[in-house]
Amino acid sequence: MSHHVTSADIAIHGDHLDNSKVAKVKILALGVAGIGTVVSLLGLFGVFGEWFQGTFAYSWVFAFYFFLTLSIGGVFWTLLHNVSNSGWGTSVRRTFENLGSTFPWIFLFGIPLLFPQVNQYLYEWMNIHRATPDGQTVKEHLHHADHLLYAKQWFMNMPFWYGRFIFYGVGLTAVIYFLRKLSTDQDTDPNPGTARLLKARFHSNYPLIIFALTITFTGFDFVMALDYKWFSTMWGVYLFAGSTLNSMAVIILVCTFLKSRGHLKHVTGPEHFHIMGKLLFAFTTFWAYIAFSQYFLIWYANITEETSYFLIRNTDGWNTGMIFLVFGHFVVPFVVLLQAWLKKNPKYLSIMAVYTLCMHALDHYLIVIPERGISLGNIKPEIFGKITPAIDGAFWGDILAFVTIGAAFLFFLLRALGQHSLYPNRDPRILESANLSN
Amino acid sequence: MSTTRKRVYGYLAEFKSASALYKAAEKVRDAGFRKWDCYTPYPVHGLDAAMGLKRSILPWFVFIGGVTGCATAFALAYSTQVLIYPTVVQAKPTNIFTVPAFFPIMFELTILFSGFTVLFGLLGLIQLPRLNHPLFASKQFHRATDDGFFIAIEARDAKFNPDVTRNMLAEIGGENIELVEEED
Repeated sequence: MSHHVTSADIAIHGDHLDNSKVAKVKILALGVAGIGTVVSLLGLFGVFGEWFQGTFAYSWVFAFYFFLTLSIGGVFWTLLHNVSNSGWGTSVRRTFENLGSTFPWIFLFGIPLLFPQVNQYLYEWMNIHRATPDGQTVKEHLHHADHLLYAKQWFMNMPFWYGRFIFYGVGLTAVIYFLRKLSTDQDTDPNPGTARLLKARFHSNYPLIIFALTITFTGFDFVMALDYKWFSTMWGVYLFAGSTLNSMAVIILVCTFLKSRGHLKHVTGPEHFHIMGKLLFAFTTFWAYIAFSQYFLIWYANITEETSYFLIRNTDGWNTGMIFLVFGHFVVPFVVLLQAWLKKNPKYLSIMAVYTLCMHALDHYLIVIPERGISLGNIKPEIFGKITPAIDGAFWGDILAFVTIGAAFLFFLLRALGQHSLYPNRDPRILESANLSN
Repeated sequence: MSTTRKRVYGYLAEFKSASALYKAAEKVRDAGFRKWDCYTPYPVHGLDAAMGLKRSILPWFVFIGGVTGCATAFALAYSTQVLIYPTVVQAKPTNIFTVPAFFPIMFELTILFSGFTVLFGLLGLIQLPRLNHPLFASKQFHRATDDGFFIAIEARDAKFNPDVTRNMLAEIGGENIELVEEED
């Protein structure tokens, strides 16, 4: 602690990002995202042939869900900050909110999944539903076609699926829009007071339920449903662990970037990075705990419906990836992040944050992509070849989708950063947060 | 005849508030003392930095303890379940790929050994338990658990000098300065 921060150190009119300095990056990101989206949409709707359409659908789910977890995590940290009545995080809360505010935009990239042209390659249960002959109800059809889907029909049916899709989009969008507006309105209020603080706390508790439903059931509907026969009761928690961990990594990167540009002066310091580093460490361990528990129970019980997931991912090259994940996603960051000095150093902590995000990308790649060769070979062997662990050449589509949605994510994040003050300069607890000691 | 030999423990000085103690601690630190300590009724944030305390080496003990626990558990499970008496459970292999079954044990023993090293390492480093402390001879010292903020500088410190140290403590705001003597 260099010196005690007083109200004289707080920027009265806020600490604003100079938009002209990030304009180039923003335009570049928007350009890449725009062109990439057009190309991707053409591909997803079959302009480049059915082979690309089918393989690229998986690329799209991978990239879409990867960035969605980061945005959802931003909303989660905002909610957690508010409900836990946290004092330390006030000076970085705006970064949580800015990250969360990318949610509605990233969610828009999920809209292609609504169309049969796209989801016919992803979600086989929909194909079976759609194959209902005239004069039969879906229920009657499923009773003969696939008893598993008959039993799951109360959840896996098209109207409910569309309804849930709308709920995911609208729910967290409303939550983060309201909370961010509540927070940013205070920046210019001549009489800030504590009313907004209490209001934000109250209106953050029930949205945690919306958050939990969103992270769990988007995981079920977009990812777990890639193989409708497979299920894991830990799936929601598993995705939640990766989501919170990596959104914290993004938050650390954003804060380091802002610090390097001379922002967040006086209000954030090594102590804040130490806490964020501790959260990164905690969720690295939590992820490993959940990931192992999921594997362990399935491995031990050895039930056919459950083991399919790991059988695919322990075949050929995927197995290398899975074993690498054990060391790369857990052992290495666990040992490195044990050190306190490293967590207090924004530069080293940022390196770890970038590393963690790379591991998250590998994690999500292994969640989505191994399903591609199996499903496509099952759906249309005449186009995609027979069932195989990996389809050659489909990798380039993964990169295209990742870069497209990644550029969009970067654009919307930078846009959000430039909209308001970078920390809540009139929050009643900003001084408490600035003088943090832990 | 009652002559008890007494040995000087050091000076005890009281300070008005936590912030007065904090500022005084910085001065004692800058004067170069090593064998001294602060006594407060509650933890004071940042006092370790004001006292110039280095980070404890306890985390390293704990790390070694944890690694030992993990290795012990693996050795125990592997030698009994794979090497000495290969146990086939649910058709799982009895080789290195059985390791997921050992993870809970490895995890638990890591925690247990870390916990033990925390407890016993800490007790060793702070030299507890002990039956008595020389400062208990002071009549005012019990207030350290109530409303007193104290600094005690030990006589065995190389920089200790009966007059100079007393003056210094008075200068930096110390009150009720007392020479604490322990019975030999």
